[in-house]
Amino acid sequence: MKIKAQMAMVLNLDKCIGCHTCSIPCKNVWTNRSGTEYMWFNNVETKPGIGYPRQWENQDMHRGGWILKNGKLALKAGGRAVKAARIFHNPDLPAIDDYYEPWTYDYGHLISSPTQKHQPAIRPRSQITGDAMRIQWGPNWEDDLAGVNKTGRQDVNFRNIEHAVYLTFKRVFLFYLPRLCEHCLNPACVASCPSGALYKREEDGIVLVDQERCRGWRYCVSGCPYKKVYFNWKNGRSEKCLFCYPRTEAGLPTLCARTCVGRIRYVGVILYDADRIQWAAAQPQTQDIYAAHLDVMLDPCDPEVTAAARFQGLSPNVLAAAARSPAYKLIKQWQLALPLHPEFRTLPMVWYIPPLSPVSGAVGDADAFSAIDRMRIPVTYLANLLTAGDELPVRRALQKLAAMRNYMRTQRVGDSAETQPLSDAGLTAGTIQEMYELLAIARRKDRFVIPTSSGAEDAPLYPEQGRCGFAGCSPD
Amino acid sequence: MSTANILAFVVFPYIALTVFVVGHAWRYVTDAYAWNARSSEFLDKKGHFFGITLFHYGILLTLLGHAGGLLIPQYVFDAAGISGQAHTQLAYYTGLVFGLAAFVGCLLLLWRRRRRQRIRMTTTTNDYITLAGLAVATGSGIYNVIFGHFYVLDSVAPWIRSILTFSPQPSLMGAVPLSYKIHVLSALALLGFSPFSRLVHIWSAPFMYFFRRPLVFRRKVGSPTL
Repeated sequence: MKIKAQMAMVLNLDKCIGCHTCSIPCKNVWTNRSGTEYMWFNNVETKPGIGYPRQWENQDMHRGGWILKNGKLALKAGGRAVKAARIFHNPDLPAIDDYYEPWTYDYGHLISSPTQKHQPAIRPRSQITGDAMRIQWGPNWEDDLAGVNKTGRQDVNFRNIEHAVYLTFKRVFLFYLPRLCEHCLNPACVASCPSGALYKREEDGIVLVDQERCRGWRYCVSGCPYKKVYFNWKNGRSEKCLFCYPRTEAGLPTLCARTCVGRIRYVGVILYDADRIQWAAAQPQTQDIYAAHLDVMLDPCDPEVTAAARFQGLSPNVLAAAARSPAYKLIKQWQLALPLHPEFRTLPMVWYIPPLSPVSGAVGDADAFSAIDRMRIPVTYLANLLTAGDELPVRRALQKLAAMRNYMRTQRVGDSAETQPLSDAGLTAGTIQEMYELLAIARRKDRFVIPTSSGAEDAPLYPEQGRCGFAGCSPD
Repeated sequence: MSTANILAFVVFPYIALTVFVVGHAWRYVTDAYAWNARSSEFLDKKGHFFGITLFHYGILLTLLGHAGGLLIPQYVFDAAGISGQAHTQLAYYTGLVFGLAAFVGCLLLLWRRRRRQRIRMTTTTNDYITLAGLAVATGSGIYNVIFGHFYVLDSVAPWIRSILTFSPQPSLMGAVPLSYKIHVLSALALLGFSPFSRLVHIWSAPFMYFFRRPLVFRRKVGSPTL
């Protein structure tokens, strides 16, 4: 057993209002430079929809992630020899138009325009060429289902569903999906990099691009099935979400998590057994990967695990944080959160609590299970998104959420507390209370349990202030 | 022997090669951030494939051919049973195929730099110098293959070896036709310029990818563990 600690995030889609507040501080801090205009380390998509970049989930098209080849894990885009042969032109690389051409406006024209009959207008200009352009696609073009009647049929999550039905006005549904780098346990981007520039940090599992070693071979961009590694067209290197490691090292949550107005995000440490990563990722059936993924996560309160972890050199404050981890509770203990597209076999570590949705017809209190089938968002759709099509875990999670709501309402309005739905969902009143506290009213210290990196290891950081980071940010 | 000959075939080669060696070291140490291919595939994928593929396969195999044919003395080939005549024939046909591929690829890339708006607006002067240098070197090379028919194995080849062994013999280049001189000098100029261009990415060809483990872990402090 090789125990490693991993930063994990859980997003409660039940509470996401799609305000994009998470994306803004991320953009302002990390990708506010020439060459990165089009990059959104964090973005919020409306589902159903094809997302950003277009159809990123469709691996028949983008060929990212892993597949099983004769029972062994292999990169879908091809192995080392294939990569070497195609290194000059990577056929799987998404191009700028798959994201969008970044633009700005002629703001100066408002001031410099001579006196004229009509009010001066500002025109969009490409941030690549500087030419006037027509905006035809953007980072959140499908916001609140805009154009989904056209793009929706290309959404691969409609697998085994009559998508035409759900794209009609009466049956249409929507929810938001905020996305960031998954900091996978089995990252395809790392395995794809010819230079070995991408790596996983031993201490917290954050996946980073070594900017000094990146030679711009671009295979990480196409290798990541979530399309969360971006190519800086200006300086020819890849950049990606860094899980705000300068903040997490100081015990602060990531910018996206900290600024979330709906407080939907949870950040915590998860201990896992690194020796079993290959086993979990190489499950023969894609639907078994979720359970195997849970299985490699270790109980941080198990004395055997903590003793082994201490022996292997994990620091005590990491173990203390792991024991209180909200991510562990939501992912493994209560199994409310589910991974995004486990079938990509990367073992992602940003998980999602599936959203409840309005039920057509009256809600029968006693029959929470059948209510789930009458919810506006089809369970099959959520299962295609979160569990490789296996509906059972999604049903269970939704049932628990529904039972919790039901129970808390009866507590509030003074009805007799009906405990039948609780035992149906496999919950006790005590668990419900704990779930409620974390999901509904938790304070920052409970939503974000982040160990600081121990200061003794660090070189003095003060002289570095304002001097390091992505090239182009530093003052000199 | 004329001063011009000494300047061109002793002084200039050593200046170019010194800049080549020192320049690479200097650039690698001081400018690691910019040491990459600066691929433009992302901005224009459609116009990218033919030019880039022809050029790269062409130039790499041409370089390999030059290394094998010019750096290894002819008596080694003789010992292996390959006469100078056969050697020249081999060089002629491989040079024709791969040199032409490199040259055509170069022209396609140059055309793309000018005609595709996104590429044009993101092209630097350095890029144009690099590409023009490549076009002149490959163009003069392919001209020599097709129209030159000059026997280089007892002239240009030993001269190159004389430069590399620090015993320069510029007289060997005396009777070489002008087009060959242009080819040699433009190639040397390109070598001298290459440390300051995007061509440096050739030195980062990722051979280690074939040997490393798929997942890379690194500690924040201490040596990288690959």
